[in-house]
Amino acid sequence: MLTPVPYLHRPHSKTSVTGLQWTKAEDVKPESPNILTLPRDLLQSFQKRGSSVVIDIEELMERLARKVRIENPNSIREYLLQFTELLDVIPKAVDAAKKHFPEAKLVMDVYQDPEIADCYLVLYIRLKYYDDSVIERLEKAEAEFLNQLVNKRGWIQLTTDFREPEGEGAL
Amino acid sequence: MVKKYAKPPIVEAVCEFRVTPETQWDLTVPGLLYERLKGSFPQKEQRMIQEVELMQGPEGLQQQIRTSERLLFFTEDRKMLVQVGPRLLTVNALKPYPHWEGFKPRIEMAWKSLQATVEMQGLERMGLRYINHIELPGQSVELAKYFEFYPFVGQRLPQQMVSFLAVAEFSYADDRDRCRVQLTPIPGSGGKSLFMLDIDYFLARPRAVEVVDALAWVEEAHNRVEEVFEGCITDKLREMFEEVL
Repeated sequence: MLTPVPYLHRPHSKTSVTGLQWTKAEDVKPESPNILTLPRDLLQSFQKRGSSVVIDIEELMERLARKVRIENPNSIREYLLQFTELLDVIPKAVDAAKKHFPEAKLVMDVYQDPEIADCYLVLYIRLKYYDDSVIERLEKAEAEFLNQLVNKRGWIQLTTDFREPEGEGAL
Repeated sequence: MVKKYAKPPIVEAVCEFRVTPETQWDLTVPGLLYERLKGSFPQKEQRMIQEVELMQGPEGLQQQIRTSERLLFFTEDRKMLVQVGPRLLTVNALKPYPHWEGFKPRIEMAWKSLQATVEMQGLERMGLRYINHIELPGQSVELAKYFEFYPFVGQRLPQQMVSFLAVAEFSYADDRDRCRVQLTPIPGSGGKSLFMLDIDYFLARPRAVEVVDALAWVEEAHNRVEEVFEGCITDKLREMFEEVL
């Protein structure tokens, strides 16, 4: 009886050579690419990066995801592709929000104005309790990065939608 | 035979030239380049870029983070840009990909402008990189249906992966060039799965290609990238990308 073998399991002539090199270091000829140095080579190939806008966006989103809940990642990607100058400003906006609202849950989304063809990034702070200090703290946080938006295309707005941190119920 | 798709998954193509340290490069270079390129790339921006340098030191691999200023010149529609940094020139094409016939002339234009501006002593690195975003239906995807490049998971391991990063480097032209291929899932929207397939073909041996041969190398790199891309995907994806016959 034949057992079906998934495609990947089928030995290819080239990959089977590579497989041998993995298992027997002494078989590796010096003039061949040394498979044993591969991890270092891979590491080295990470250097001199930073030329791709898309990768910059993905790296930023990955970093943001540790601090911010990202709604609609595709919309945010699209927005940042259009307004690349914001890539430098967003971390400052998030840091400012975290500094002034350490207890808040942060949520990022793209706001599409329903009346005009305009959209911008929005960073919501969501708190368990909203008191009178919220607006003042928002203003202070915003003041820390607002000057970075001068003469740049695109916008990020720090605000609140007065929702609970989990984002379900409005207060 | 080169395949063309009506819905290519390319979100960005990047052609990068790094010249050797002996090449004289001063603060006037970006401005001079802009003068030559502003007809096609009129919109100017400036960004601070952090680059990570990994070096072999006495205590193993050491990491150095360098910050440098970079000028970005965009086309009017902002779908293409040229980046100029210290001894660096890149040409980027954002989606929708203009196909090679649309991208290649911009690369040539930028490269020839640099040649006219700077007396280049050699090429440290060149790269042609294609970044693809592949959106698939559903939140659970059987990779083998769509890809021919993905991590192998033995039967004794859980078959449901929550995340992975598959990276491989392939050697070309007697190891003068390398092609780094990476596949990883990235967060998607609307209940769909999103994968990033990153194919980076680069000159791995500094100075192994003469300055006069740079554009021929780019053409060759493009052929290799196409082969690798086709090698990474199955007919199922070709159908989704809608091949143009």
